Parts: sequence; structure tokens; C-alpha cells
Amino acid sequence: MKNVKRLLALVLALAMVLTLCACGPKEDKGNDKQEENNTTGDTIKVGAMFNITGGQASLDEPSYRGFKLYFDEVNKAGGINGRQIEVVSYDGKTDQTVCANNTSKLIDVDKVVAISGLSDSNYAFAAGNVAQQSGVPFVFSGATTPTLNDIGDQVFLTAFGDDICAYAAADYLTEELNITKVYMLVDQSMDFTTTLARCFQERLEKNGGEVVLTDNYMNKDPDFSAQIDRYLADNKGAEAIFLSSVPDDVGVITKQFRDRGVTDLMISGDGADTPLLYEVAGEAATGFLVSTHCSFENEDPAVQDFVKLYTETQGTAPENAFAALGYDAAHIIATAIEMCGDDVTPANVRDNLEAIQNLRLVTGTVSYSAGNHIPQKSATIITVADDGSFKFVKEIG
Amino acid sequence: MSASYFISQLVNGLRLGSVYAIVAVGYSIVYGILRLINFAHGDIMTIGVYVMLMLMTTIGMPLWAVVIVSVVVSVFAGVLIERLAYRPLRSANEEATLISSLAVSTLLQNLLQMIFSPQKRAFHLPEFFSVRHDIFGIQLSTMNIMTFVAVAVIVIALTFVVQKTKIGTAMRACSENLDAARLMGINPNKVIVFAFAVGSGLAALAGLMLAGEYKTIDPLMGFVPGLKAFCAAVVGGIGSLYGAVLGGLVIGVAEMLFAGLMPTSVTAYRDAFVFVVLILVLLVRPNGLLGQSEGGRS
Amino acid sequence: MESKRLRDCSLFRLAVFVVLPVLIVVAMCGRGNYYSAMVCTFAINVLLAASLNLVNGFSGMFSMGHAAFMAVGAYISAFLTLSPTQKASMLPGLPQWLTNIQIPLLPALLVAGIAAAFVAVLIGIPVLRFKGHYLSVATLGLIVIVRAVLDNSDSVTNGPRGITGLPNLATPTLIFAVLMVSLFIMYRLIRSSYGRGLIAMRDDDVAAQSLGINLTSKKISIFCISAFFAGVAGAMWGHNQTVISGQFFYFNMSFKVVQISIIGGMASLSGAAVGALFMTFVPELLAPLESGFNLFGMAIPSLYGISNIIMAVFLILVIIFRRQGLLGSSELLLESWFSGSTYTSLFKKSEYQELAAAIRGKFNRKQT
Repeated sequence: MKNVKRLLALVLALAMVLTLCACGPKEDKGNDKQEENNTTGDTIKVGAMFNITGGQASLDEPSYRGFKLYFDEVNKAGGINGRQIEVVSYDGKTDQTVCANNTSKLIDVDKVVAISGLSDSNYAFAAGNVAQQSGVPFVFSGATTPTLNDIGDQVFLTAFGDDICAYAAADYLTEELNITKVYMLVDQSMDFTTTLARCFQERLEKNGGEVVLTDNYMNKDPDFSAQIDRYLADNKGAEAIFLSSVPDDVGVITKQFRDRGVTDLMISGDGADTPLLYEVAGEAATGFLVSTHCSFENEDPAVQDFVKLYTETQGTAPENAFAALGYDAAHIIATAIEMCGDDVTPANVRDNLEAIQNLRLVTGTVSYSAGNHIPQKSATIITVADDGSFKFVKEIG
Repeated sequence: MSASYFISQLVNGLRLGSVYAIVAVGYSIVYGILRLINFAHGDIMTIGVYVMLMLMTTIGMPLWAVVIVSVVVSVFAGVLIERLAYRPLRSANEEATLISSLAVSTLLQNLLQMIFSPQKRAFHLPEFFSVRHDIFGIQLSTMNIMTFVAVAVIVIALTFVVQKTKIGTAMRACSENLDAARLMGINPNKVIVFAFAVGSGLAALAGLMLAGEYKTIDPLMGFVPGLKAFCAAVVGGIGSLYGAVLGGLVIGVAEMLFAGLMPTSVTAYRDAFVFVVLILVLLVRPNGLLGQSEGGRS
Repeated sequence: MESKRLRDCSLFRLAVFVVLPVLIVVAMCGRGNYYSAMVCTFAINVLLAASLNLVNGFSGMFSMGHAAFMAVGAYISAFLTLSPTQKASMLPGLPQWLTNIQIPLLPALLVAGIAAAFVAVLIGIPVLRFKGHYLSVATLGLIVIVRAVLDNSDSVTNGPRGITGLPNLATPTLIFAVLMVSLFIMYRLIRSSYGRGLIAMRDDDVAAQSLGINLTSKKISIFCISAFFAGVAGAMWGHNQTVISGQFFYFNMSFKVVQISIIGGMASLSGAAVGALFMTFVPELLAPLESGFNLFGMAIPSLYGISNIIMAVFLILVIIFRRQGLLGSSELLLESWFSGSTYTSLFKKSEYQELAAAIRGKFNRKQT
């Protein structure tokens, strides 16, 4: 017993000291490097804060790979203004505390000049606040809630707000297809899906349409038969189905609806355009509409080059639009750093981010202005063709 | 609301419930003996499913062979986990084993994410399984029918094993009182390894049902069914096989009836409703639906 | 005369358990946001685990529903501390009187704790009669129920979008002050006759009952007290993070608290501190392994998830070799912190002599 307790005391003290030691020298090193970095040194540090493991990983991991890929290419091509970029990355582990603390770590210990990452707005709020307080710009790769702009002048969105994407879907239904009665199936446990649904309903009603029935489910439910039976029993005259779901669920839902003989038009929001949709639902996915950032089938060389590059380097085609968003977030940060010239500091990067105008990216064209850090990109309506590829339908906005 | 609507929702509940039931039976076998809240059970299921996916997509083995290999791999995984993470804690309290199982679960989930990427994958069985049959006006796929049959077969087979075989008798003895069983000359380790083997094999089968029905798999897919299996096993009565099946069905039916019959403004409360039902059941029957008083064990 | 063991010397305790940690905490808080954020996370984890220990370690029940009480505390405190304009735009469904009030953090923490305790009574009266795992399932259910309410009461909780822009009032000083006061109250509680009754109930409920201990009231009251501190911790966590949402107060959060509590030693409040130390800082130490580095000129590629795996293996090893948790049921830390003799020893000559004797004794023992 005695030994054990002595051991414990030792472990306790050791752990504390170790933490301090482990952190201590690193910070000094960071300090030295920062001075080098921001004036005459060779490398510029950029932070990556993605949830690479855990529940958010299916969105964030491709984003991170896209982000890293962009800077790898930049470094291969000689860096920015002759300086190499070092991407410092920590895993957020789909844990809000870890996300916030690691953002602090990137800023305090690694002295990065800008940070990017995060697809879920809840996590983005936590990390963004930390960056805001420390005065380091944070470019969210995938988060889309319009209220993120309220955090302050240090945060920027790569994607458009949920409103644009939802408005485009509503506009397309009412104006192009003359559909007014819509059934909505909402994932009631995610901020992104509930915001999307709210914006969609707003716009649809403004356009003279009507959401005749809203049903819901909770994230991770695999079975939608209760909702489908309800829809089959009385769909209140709905002519189309709007799915407000995370990308992973869209295929399963579509498959189950189609299997039960529902033939109505189905449409969903950004991110639903994953290869998974056709892989899971197969022919059932044909004709499915997605209102999204970009289409990987787009003939635009910017898009095709990205798809080719990603496929070659990562050994797999872009998993979903978040891969492109991560790549674009890196592009945005790199552009701002380049505009800084030799004086790369967080404050300068922020100012130059705000000055970005008409930057052509994979997922559209981005312009920021003081006070509005949400890009006003256009949304694209795409559909699933017979062979499973996505076909461009219309650009809206 | 018409009667046929009610019946179709009830059948939905039974379908979902029978999937839970298969997971719960496997869970319950180990749980009955060790009283171990085995968070890793669902993850063993995930391993089984990924083995199936790999074999089907890369080698293109016939389905029966795929299932056998996957069950064997899961059994090995289960037994290995028992040997490394649970056996050293045999005489420790339940909480110590709980930590161990949580850690194993984290380990497996991260390992699977590292190996197979965190992305969801499509999981397709031959067309035969998703053909729909019209039975008394109710649409069921071959997979649904097989799930019902599987539950029945598994329960009958396990009843036979538990009641008639030597190892089954030993299992019952261990379940009632581990120490007394040891005193009677039963080697608890043997029994426990057997229980883990059976439980893990059933987990792989349950994974097949789950993935075949919903057609997608991902490294974290096992967690929720694992947790529901725990709830089903507890509500059914700790240590009771029939109880686990009944518990699984109760959860499935409660979930679906609530989602199908209540106004859509409240259906998002369906998970909450399930737990309210569970708590109500336990209030009426504190030892679960089919459980006996725990007596000496707490 | 047999000399005292080193760890029993008040001076030694003062130096190792009080002065050294305080120095480390102060040093870390002064180093920058990251270090102070880590220290705050640690402190909140200690409070969470310690409050869980009251139920799980000292009274023989096994609750897994701590995240639910955290959520209640965090939301209530958010309602009370947000500005009326923020509430009007984000939470239009709140009653007018609640929208209009805005109070400082400390009273808000108190109210948050009381609200959590109130929820604990509501849920406790029906479910605390369950034993063992039946209770665990019921408390897991509590998490699900609370999450469902948070996600679906859009106008009051802003749904799954959560409440954002919470004032960042939880400074390290405040968190540590609240932690110390809470630990002191809990420590006195378990050392009181009430606490001894609890332990009696844990060890043998029938015998305890026969001695006149009212099991039901004991169970409900300790569940309540535990929930109170969980609510306070949840509220501080919310103000520390500045954003709260239902998805954060779910299984992962609850399981993390349970892990901290068990790994440190459930039957010890000091164990919560050791467990939190382990679970907060070890993953940070492992983090550099993930991003890839050079080892003797060999490039190790980045491998995300490896720190989680190593951590899991650590946990299994620790629990195998220390089944009762790192501290078992020892209260070494809190005893040192909260007993006056630790501090008065500075001024007593005899204490110095004892310390010297203990060191000599240790030295001699090593020799032989």
C-alpha cells in the first residue's frame, strides 16, 4: 500500500512536471520561430483544426486532406513569395473542448498566422471565438450557418451560408418546376439541417409555396419506414420531397423511399452530392436533385484539375464537396498570405482576407467585404443521371 | 388513422425490433454471466461487417463463405478482447471492466477509422435479399423475413444449448452465481470464452442483418445498436435470453409506433419516448420484463 | 522511535501537494491562452468527476447521466447571463421576465446548480429505487430525454443550433475558486455523519437500514447534491466555451466523466483530481505523435487517431494494474489541502524535525 501511494504521488508530480516540460520548451521554440517566421524566416505556419476522428470525421477528414493537398502543391511550386508553408494540424476528436483548446494551442504555441477547418457550426463557434479573442483569422472550411458572421471580424466562411443553398432549392422548385406543395424530412439533431430546413421553408412560402408536412428523424437513425408509411398514408398533396439531412443519410433515405414506391421528385441541400448517394441508392437515385456548392462534373478546368489532382494524390476521388471546400479554404488563406508580401502577421492576413475579390475557386467565386465574411457564391442545381454521375442543371443566384 | 396504417407501423416496429433483438441476444449471453456493460459489443459487429465488405468487394467470395469467414473473424476478435482486456479484471469490480470495455470500444472505432477511412460505405447484398414480398398486404423484403426467422432460429438454438448441453448448464450456473459455479468444479474461464465466442459470432450475424437492411456501414455504426442492446438486455431482465429478445422488440415497436402515430410536431422525441417507456417498464417490473430477482448479486 | 513516513509529514504535503501544484497552475495560467484553457478544462473535469464520485463511489449507485445535469446547468446559466437583446433574437420563446434579467456569473452558477438538483429530484424519485444496471439504463435515458428536449424546443433553446455568444466570464481564477469551495464542501460532506451513512449504505445497504439510515432520502439527497455540482460545472464549461448545444451534452461527455471518475478512483474525491490530470493532459502529450515527425532522420507519417488508441491501451493497462483506480479510496490530496495542520506546519519546529527524520528514514531504508 505504502509503495503504491508513494508511486502515486510520484506519478502525480511527474505528470504535472512533464506537462510543463513538454509544453515549456516548445513554447520558447515557438517564440523564436515566430520572430523568424514573421519577418525574415523561411516558413510560414498555417493552422489546421479539423475533427479527423470521431463522428464529424466523414466530413472533416476529406476537408483536411484537401487543405493539406493545396499547401503541398504550393510548397512544391516554391512556396508563397519564396517561403514554404508549414501546415500545423491537431485533431479535434469531435470534442468541442478539444477543438477550442487546440485552436488556442495553434495560436499560442505554434504561432500560426491563420487557421482553417471545421464543418459543423457548433464546433466552429467554439473555435472561432477563441480565434476572435486572440486576433487570428479563422477560415471555416465547411461550416455554413449564416450567424457565424456574428463571431466577429476574424472569421471567414469558405462555403456560402445555408440560406443561399436553401433559397436556390426553393426557387428552383417554385420557379422552374411550378411545384408549390413540398414535404420536408428534417434531421432534427443537427444545426446545419435545421437551419437549412428553416431557410427553405421561409423562401418557399415567400414564393407562394407551402410545406404541407414536415417530418423528422434524429441523426444516426437508420430506419425511415415510419416516416415513409406516414407519407404514403397521406402526403397532403405534396409534389416534391425536400431532404434536410447530412450527406451520409441521403442515399439511405432515397433508397428506402423509392423502394416503397414513392416516385415524387426529391431534392436536398449542399453536400448531398457524394458518390455514396448513387452507390447506396443505385438506380433509385436517378433524377435526385441537389442544390450545392459545385459539381465535380463541371467542365470548368478549376474543378476538373482539382478532381484529377485529388484522385492522383489521395488514391480516391473526392469523397464529397467538403474535400473541395478544404482545398478552397487553403487557396483563400494562401491568397491572403501572398497579398501580405513579406510582412505576414495574423493581422495582415486578416486585412488581406477581407480584401479578397473575385477569387476563382473550385466551389465558386469568393469575395469578402468588411462586415460580411460569408461569400455570396451562386448555388448550383445538379441531378443524378442514369449512369450515376451528377449532371449540371442550373446555376441559381 | 386506419387499422392497416397501424398494422404497417407495428410491422415496422417489429422489423426494427428484431434487428435490435439479434444484437441484444448476443449481448445478453456475455452480459448474463459477467454483468459486463460491454460497449465493445457493437464494435465487434462493425468488425464483422467490414470483413464481409472487404471479402465481397475485393475477392468476390460467395455470400455463404463470406458470412462464415466474418463470423470466425468476429469470434476470434471477441475471444482475443476477452483474453487481453477483460480476463485480467475478472475479480475486479464491474466498474473496472466497464472502463476496459469503453477503452476497447474507442480503440476499435479509431482503428476502423484509420484502416477503412471514416467515410460511410455502401453495402450491397445480392438483389435476392431486397426483393419485396406482399404478405397479407404488408410489404416485406427477403431480408426482413430472414431477420424474423433468424431471431426464432437463434433463440431456439440457444435454448437448446443452454438447456441441454453441458456447457449450457455451466453457463446457467455461472450466470446464477459465478463463485458457486467455480466451487462446483466448473471452469468459469472456459464458459466465459464460450459465451464471448457465441456473442461475437451473433454480433457478426446481426451486423449482416443491419447492414443488409440499411445498405450503408461506417466505423461508428455499432455504437447505437450496442447501447440499445444493453438497454434491451436490461429491460428484458438481466441474464434472460427471451427477455433480451422481448426487450429488443419493445424498443423497436415503441420507437416506430411513436414515430408513426404521433403528430409530426412531437415525433422528434422518439428516442426520449423509448427511454420513458423503459423507465416505466422498470417501475412496474424492477427486475425487467422476464428477469428474476437478483438475490445475492447486485 | 519509528520516524513518520515522508508523505505523512505536513511539510512534505505542503510542498508537494499544495505549493507545487499551485506554482504549476499559476505558471501555466501566465503562459498564454492555451495553457490557461488546459488548466480550466482540467479544473472543470475535476469538479465533474468529484461530483460523480459522490453518487458512484460513495453511495454505491451507478449513474451515467452526468451530461444531462451539466446541460441543465449550462442552459439555465446561459438564460441568466445573456443580455436581453441576445435572448430576444436567439431565444424568442423565453418568458418576458427571464428575457429581461441579466445577473452576474456567480449567482447564475448557484441557480444553475439548483436547477440541475431540481431535475435530479424529479428523475431521482422514480428511478433511484432501481438497482445496479437498471439505474444505469435509466440515467442513460435521462441524457437522451434532456437532449431531445434541448433539440426540439426551438424557441427556448434555439434547437440544435445551440446558444452562441455566451459571455466568457469563467476565468481560471473563478473556476479554481469555485472548484476549491466545491471540493471543500464535498470533502466535509463525506467526512460528516451523513457521509459515513452513505458509505455504510454503499457497503451494506441492509445493515445500514437496520441502523436507522433512511436509504431513500439518502439516495435522493446525494443524487441531488451531485447534480448540483454537475450543474455548476456544466455552467462553467458553457461560459468557458462560449457556445452550448445539445450534441455536446451527450453520451461522449457522460462517458468521459465516468472514465475520469473510475480511472482516478471512484471512492475518493482526490481520485477525481488524479483522474482528470491523467485524462486531460496525457492526450495532449500524445498529440505530437499524430502529426508526423522525424525520428533519427526517419520521417514518421501523420497518423490521426493513434493518440486515441494509445490512450485506450493506457486506460486498460492502468485499470488492470490499479483496479480501484489510481488513488483507490485514499484522500491524500484533499486531506492535505483542507487540513489546517498542513499550513500551520510551516511555523512549527517539530514538523521540520519530523521531515528530517522521515528523509533520513527513507535514506536508511534504501541503504538496507
